[in-house]
Amino acid sequence: MSVVRVDLNKCIGCENCVNICPLDVFYFDYEAHKSVLAYPENCQSCGQCYLNCQGRALGISNDTFGYPITAYRGVSMAPMNRVIITESGMVTEFTKGKLP
Amino acid sequence: MTTTKMPRTMELPRPLKVACPYESAYQADVIVVGCGFAGLNAAVTAKEAGQSVLVIDKGRPGYSGLSPWPSSFRWFDPERGDVAEAYRKAIQEGGDYLSNLNWYEQWIRESKDVYHRLTEWGILAQYPKAAEAGDYYEREDFVGYRETFDRFDRHKKWIEVLNRYEIPFLEHTMVTDVLLEQGAVNGVMGFHVPSGQVIAVSGKAVILATGGGSYKPTGYPTGGDTFDGEYIAYNLGLPIAGKEFEDFHQTPATAPGNVFFDNHWQYLENIWLCGGDVAMENASGYGAAKGNVMVLGRVKKAVYGVPAADGSEIQDVATAQYTRRGGSRVYETDPEEVRSGKMSTPVAASALAGAAVGMCCHLTSGVFCGLEELDGAAGIPGLYTAGDGIHATSPSGAAYPCGVGFTSCFCSIDGMHAGKAAAEYAETAAPAPAAVSAETIAKKTEEITAPLRVEQGFDPNWARDVLHSIMAPYWVTVAKTEPTLCAALTQVEYMRDHVIPKLAAKTSHDLRLCIEMKHKVLSAEMKLRASLARKESRGNHYRSDIPYRDDEKFLCYITVKKGENGMMTEQVPIPAAWAGNTAMPYDKRYHYYFPGEPEAKGFTPPKPKFGGKRG
Repeated sequence: MSVVRVDLNKCIGCENCVNICPLDVFYFDYEAHKSVLAYPENCQSCGQCYLNCQGRALGISNDTFGYPITAYRGVSMAPMNRVIITESGMVTEFTKGKLP
Repeated sequence: MTTTKMPRTMELPRPLKVACPYESAYQADVIVVGCGFAGLNAAVTAKEAGQSVLVIDKGRPGYSGLSPWPSSFRWFDPERGDVAEAYRKAIQEGGDYLSNLNWYEQWIRESKDVYHRLTEWGILAQYPKAAEAGDYYEREDFVGYRETFDRFDRHKKWIEVLNRYEIPFLEHTMVTDVLLEQGAVNGVMGFHVPSGQVIAVSGKAVILATGGGSYKPTGYPTGGDTFDGEYIAYNLGLPIAGKEFEDFHQTPATAPGNVFFDNHWQYLENIWLCGGDVAMENASGYGAAKGNVMVLGRVKKAVYGVPAADGSEIQDVATAQYTRRGGSRVYETDPEEVRSGKMSTPVAASALAGAAVGMCCHLTSGVFCGLEELDGAAGIPGLYTAGDGIHATSPSGAAYPCGVGFTSCFCSIDGMHAGKAAAEYAETAAPAPAAVSAETIAKKTEEITAPLRVEQGFDPNWARDVLHSIMAPYWVTVAKTEPTLCAALTQVEYMRDHVIPKLAAKTSHDLRLCIEMKHKVLSAEMKLRASLARKESRGNHYRSDIPYRDDEKFLCYITVKKGENGMMTEQVPIPAAWAGNTAMPYDKRYHYYFPGEPEAKGFTPPKPKFGGKRG
């Protein structure tokens, strides 16, 4: 159970999600004037961002974002691999290299 | 030709640099850490007393911690016929005789004033519920309902009140340390989480209103409450009480990790007005009914297992009956009685201890300030505690028999007391404030940012999942035994010694998680040691290997404290007047019985009278 992006095109840049989220899940891209769902693995599924999203760009999924339990796990600077819905279906985009 | 624009679900990269909107240093007479019901009332009371106040919250006031979630508010109203003795009997017996009756008396005296205060602030405004306001309920249009009744949205009121009283506040800022100078409070340090900027605040008094905590992964709205204040207090040498009492908010069997699913209408609708439901004739049964549902229901599922789901256990919310919980007995006949009770638009029935693993029992857990201390003075000059999870006031004892809406009211009273006392201290007794020294800032900055310098280490999210997998099983939280607690303790000690020092952060977001993990592991150790020390069953602490109350040895609070050789536990006996009639026959003194208790104590239990879906 976590927040999901319904459509980034609908984000009007109100920053409500960034300001309201108690878990620091959202950041803001001032160049694109869009919020960034940066840490879905820390979403507590409270839904306050979704309820206050003025553009209706967010949703709540019944799936929980998380990694499998492993023997150990390191931290990464790279964003997670993302599942993207395209016209040809659902594909996974793998991060290449470092962030700009 | 029509073109279809596909939704864009890919995210932009996280911005690497975030500007901090705050200065790196502040000064205030009274610093309030955490701004829920307790923190807001503390801040306003201290400001009204003429002191300068600064509020610091790890999220945004009104939206962080547990304060966004209460659906009810309860007060005592003698003008409407409430009887203090009846309510005390319900709390005393339902709390398994560990209720702090000094604090209970405070609630009796002051709860109605809090009702007027919060009403005046707009927090208790009443408006049509979803099922009676258009078709929001049928269409499950949560956002539309919120937008329609936006002007009543209580979550916004927190910042409106702070602005009205001209109280400045720092958002998204985590306090990590309370600073002392010659044994007295001199300020706090912490950092603005999104930017990582370290902030030092000098002040005369600090009120920790940091809230409770739990061992949840993502899944229940206490992620903002990670024992931060408890960790600070423990390391200042203060005793922490009530850690052995585990409470749960259960989640639907159909979506055990889904908080929104469990809480949406209750979050969106008004806070329901409650009280007036206890009289002498139902006082004993009131506490027993709560215990049967909230304590035994959970315990029995752990001991006997959960029936296989066939769909019939899922409540049909479209046809669910509207219940009225916690409302006045004369609501329907007295036109001036406003305490309707909780009548939220129904959601799917809560049936399982899902995402919610081991939250503290409301008001029982936190810093133990003494049996007679009613201002939250923590024992260090200038340090005060207030609110759920951080101040062990324990009016509800070993369980939570008070009825819905008690905690939001009680925390407000607790906050007002701390705010008044902190202001008086700042005015009359505090040493002249000294700016936090450059040496202290440098030393604490190095401590706070240490995980950023760990070159080879572990992800704090991984550590969170591992700790959860240690603490979540029912044999650690619901039906405890000596060997299972010891096994969990061994694992937690390993994490404390070998994992926490190696938690690594690459961003300030990670830094918050690393520090929170340190707090959670310490709290887990406290919880396990307190559970091992209470060698009996009582209220929300069930030991399946010792399934009975032991009045001779455990009519006491158990505190954990930092000792020279590690964590130590102590017992603080309660006054005899709070213990009820200990000469009564055992099966009459207690009104509900744990699995194994009648056999162990040699009596035949009556057939159960009570039931409930939440169990």
